[in-house]
Amino acid sequence: MPDLPTSKPALAGKAPLQGVQFAVEALPEGHLLQLMGPTTLDELRALFDTFGLGGSVIRAAGFRQWYVMGEAPLEPAALRGIAGALPRGVFLSDQSHGRVRIRVSGPRAAQVLARGTAVDLHGSQFPAGAAAMTLFGHIPVHLSRTGEAEFELTVLRSFAEALFGELEPFAA
Amino acid sequence: MSSYRLSTGGQIDRARSIKFSFDGKALTGHPGDTLASALLANGIQLVGRSFKYHRPRGILTAGAAEPNALVTTGTGGRTEANTRATMIELHDELNARSQNRWPSLAFDIGAVNGLLSPFLSAGFYYKTFMWPAGFWEKVYEPLIRKAAGLGKASYEADPDSYEKCWAHCDLLVIGAGPAGLAAALTAGRAGARVLLADEGFAFGGSLLTDGDARLSAMLAEFEALPNVQCLPRTTVIGWYDDNVFGAVERVQKHVAEPDPRQPVERLWRIIAKQAILASGAEERPLVFGGNDIPGVMMAGAMRSYLNRQAVAPGKRVAVFTTNNAGYRTAADLEAAGIEVAAIVDPRSEGEPGWNGKAKVLTNSCIVDALGGKAVSGVSIAGASGVQRLEADAVAMSGGWSPVIHLACHRGAKPVWSDTHAAFLAPERQEGLLLAGSAAGLWSIEACLNDGARKAAEALEAIGFAKVEPAFAEGDTAQRAATPFWFAKGSKGKAFVDYQNDVNLKDLGLAVREGYGDVELAKRYTTNGMATDQGKLSNINAIGILAEARGVSPAEVGTTTFRPFYTPVSFGALTGVSRGKHFQPVRKSPLHDWASKNGATFVETGLWYRAAWFPRAGETTWRDSVDREVLNIRQNAGLCDVSTLGKIEIFGKDAATFLDRVYCNGFAKLAVGKARYGIMLREDGMIYDDGTTSRFSDDHFFMTTTTALAAGVLTHLEFCAQTLWPELQVHFASSTDQWAQMAVAGPKSRAILSEIVEEDISDLAFPFMSARTVSLFGGKLEGRLFRISFSGELAYELGVPAGYGEYVADAIMQAGQKHGICAYGAEALGVMRIEKGHVTHAEINGTVTPGDLGCGRMVSATKPDFIGKAMLAREGMQAPDRPRLVGVKPLDPKARFRTGSHILSDGAAATLENDQGYVTSSCFSPNLGHTIGLALIKNGPERIGEKVMIWNGLRNEFTDGVICSPVFIDPENEKLHA
Repeated sequence: MPDLPTSKPALAGKAPLQGVQFAVEALPEGHLLQLMGPTTLDELRALFDTFGLGGSVIRAAGFRQWYVMGEAPLEPAALRGIAGALPRGVFLSDQSHGRVRIRVSGPRAAQVLARGTAVDLHGSQFPAGAAAMTLFGHIPVHLSRTGEAEFELTVLRSFAEALFGELEPFAA
Repeated sequence: MSSYRLSTGGQIDRARSIKFSFDGKALTGHPGDTLASALLANGIQLVGRSFKYHRPRGILTAGAAEPNALVTTGTGGRTEANTRATMIELHDELNARSQNRWPSLAFDIGAVNGLLSPFLSAGFYYKTFMWPAGFWEKVYEPLIRKAAGLGKASYEADPDSYEKCWAHCDLLVIGAGPAGLAAALTAGRAGARVLLADEGFAFGGSLLTDGDARLSAMLAEFEALPNVQCLPRTTVIGWYDDNVFGAVERVQKHVAEPDPRQPVERLWRIIAKQAILASGAEERPLVFGGNDIPGVMMAGAMRSYLNRQAVAPGKRVAVFTTNNAGYRTAADLEAAGIEVAAIVDPRSEGEPGWNGKAKVLTNSCIVDALGGKAVSGVSIAGASGVQRLEADAVAMSGGWSPVIHLACHRGAKPVWSDTHAAFLAPERQEGLLLAGSAAGLWSIEACLNDGARKAAEALEAIGFAKVEPAFAEGDTAQRAATPFWFAKGSKGKAFVDYQNDVNLKDLGLAVREGYGDVELAKRYTTNGMATDQGKLSNINAIGILAEARGVSPAEVGTTTFRPFYTPVSFGALTGVSRGKHFQPVRKSPLHDWASKNGATFVETGLWYRAAWFPRAGETTWRDSVDREVLNIRQNAGLCDVSTLGKIEIFGKDAATFLDRVYCNGFAKLAVGKARYGIMLREDGMIYDDGTTSRFSDDHFFMTTTTALAAGVLTHLEFCAQTLWPELQVHFASSTDQWAQMAVAGPKSRAILSEIVEEDISDLAFPFMSARTVSLFGGKLEGRLFRISFSGELAYELGVPAGYGEYVADAIMQAGQKHGICAYGAEALGVMRIEKGHVTHAEINGTVTPGDLGCGRMVSATKPDFIGKAMLAREGMQAPDRPRLVGVKPLDPKARFRTGSHILSDGAAATLENDQGYVTSSCFSPNLGHTIGLALIKNGPERIGEKVMIWNGLRNEFTDGVICSPVFIDPENEKLHA
């Protein structure tokens, strides 16, 4: 056994798939923090900047809930530091292993996603930066738009393989 | 003379031929043909046999309402029965076959039913097949089902794929006829997001039939409007709450070899801010003798075949009409060089402006079409008596019924209009407007104007600034319609519902026998109950019932319109959810660990859980499970419990909140401690159980059962959001964050000590401790709980999911010298039964804490908790409630099964004598016999009583004895070791 504990990604072995008009790719399992409580996006942004996490994205994930996501894993001590610095009444739940991010992109991305989600993905209704809790088929996902033809699906780890499997055929 | 293709004209591509077959005969057609038009072009008018009487039937319509020309298409897994020849776009290698005939379509033995027709009238099943009663299920029904029929489905799997899809728009336009096109164009020009759906393969509706020159310019404009999405071959099938529409797109039903990367059908769920129903109007058949003989056709359909596919119905056509549609057909027939024998019009004045060659017989009716498998003539009754006229085809038009089905899918009832002599949709319904013929307008100009105007109205309702209608000119004058329900004096059978063979006399009989109410008449005669759902027949049946009862059609009313508008394939409804995609699979972070340790998996909900871990030489699951259980009680075992629900609960009021959702106290739970909790429903019955630990003053960690993980989180959210919004509390599901491992058995502490840095001796880490711990010399953090489901000294260790496999491997390695084994859900189950621990087998929705022996856990001091009020009711505290006990066989070699019932010793095996039932049972390898948990009346007071364990399903009787539910270590010495 290796000396250092090693983390095995949920989608280990799933290579990115690049189809003609659609691509699907598992993102690195860095950090994914669920924030809850009476705060604002700006307040959180400022706070995470002070922890050197300016590169992390913050997306709405429900009423007074946010996901803070980035590619770097965070040690328990760092998490405790952030939790301790949160405004009163705001709480942090580490979901870095609990949820997995999948990026889909390409001119057909919105069309493929419309197979599974009832969210209106038209640019006027769901512009870059927008996020929603929804379903893709039977699987609950947090969907966000990261570009005109680029989306991220955040899915419970146990569903990650099933979701990737549903998206794979479109990238064939 | 039969039907044929004209040498010129039509909207078909004569340069290209399409090869297809009907009943094995090789035929050709052209692009632009439907199967129906191609059959007619090939002179084939006899295409099917009717349902009951096996009468020869031809092609009646040119659209979705076709009741006669039902054929089976495709072969093998692509076999599709009961498809309408009028809706099938002709394509190469199309293989179509007629149905409900034997041995052949032309010579069908079943036609003998026609001779028996005096006995086969409405209600004949109920009158005839009454005795002996037992014969119905075994003899009559199978025979009737065999004799009456449609096509047969294939038993082979469908090789094609289907999918579902969501769409959103400002305006959904249903139907691409003049009104729909005008609406879509108006909205498209205004910049709205428009979806335009039409069930045909070409847009245009009546503009196609008319050959209207404006159509091509309109279609060209759509090409330049990216905000208008056109969906041809798409039938909108239903209107649902929140303005959601269902639609089925036939993506590849018109190609010989479907592209496997594309679905053959796509089910759309369309969320529309506004919708316009421009579905047009359905032409009504006329009810006269022989109105089903091949060659009798709707006037509009005949005109459509003539103008769109250049198909002539015959050489000499009789027209029977109550409105201008018959005259239009007559004019076009004459223009194509086809003789019109006469225009028969029951009105006192014919259509003004008729200047064709054909004579018009007013105040006259065709009372009978003559012929067998084709029309040879007609009998016309007029003021001067009955005359016969030679004809090889009959065009009929009894007026028009607006197609309002979708507008009535959400409960609205159609409204009779005397002016229109038709049922119209109710005027105002949120989110849906009717336009054109669907709203009772009959001229093209009126439809164009109405569609454009309604689109402007719909868009302005959702905030668009002044929208300019695309059309506003032209003659929109409209003549009142005259209803005409049936021709009097027919000798032959006059059909009302073609598909179910319901004729005029059947409806008369229904009224005479007291079934004149529209709902009763429908069921008594089966009128409107066929796969076409009475699209053609219902209106005539209502008119006939009204006349027989001497009331207005308004008083008769309609039956209920329900989705779907036309039949929908199971494939489209299933979408991609078939085979292994039927439901998603949830995999534990320890799935691969279990897999490499040889686990046999079992599906529990969506999860795959390791059930047992067979080893070489073990031939049955019991061998493996017995070995696992004995080893754990002697040494140790590791089990994946990651699938149990986990919820992080935060907030300054978290403790108060838990005090209210659990029936036992949580407010005083110390940090670093876990407690078993029971959650009740409002009715006092147990909802779920599990342990909840406290990591800090304002942070708790709840576990739930696997099955109710989502349900409990929803329950907590409900309580927090609606019952006690004043409490500051937040929830985060962390089921997937943690790989959770139960390490159980007397050696478990020794094994974990090699991994966990902290002191976990009984003194430092006693039973029900729960703390964050450091692993592998500080390289990883985890959560350690000293809790036990097995009754052994046991721990649960949670680590971030990605590390699960590494940590499980490490525990197995450390435990090797201690004899550790992997164990699955089955061994877990055996050990908890041995220990008398409950699961949802016992928590079956009808038990209270007291029933399970946990009555003392229920707090008597808390001011309130969910379920408190109802739990206090006397019935919930009654001593004779079924309560938890153990049960075992008197003879250790004897066995019993879960679900068996308990009888008092010597009592007869009857329901009245039932004392309770076995909720869980297993073979206990530690005791060497079967053991069970049971809910038995007065159970705890009956320990030691001899009973009979009765399995009524298998007629098994086992002598047993009631005992304590704790079979192993009742003093909990092992637990506290």
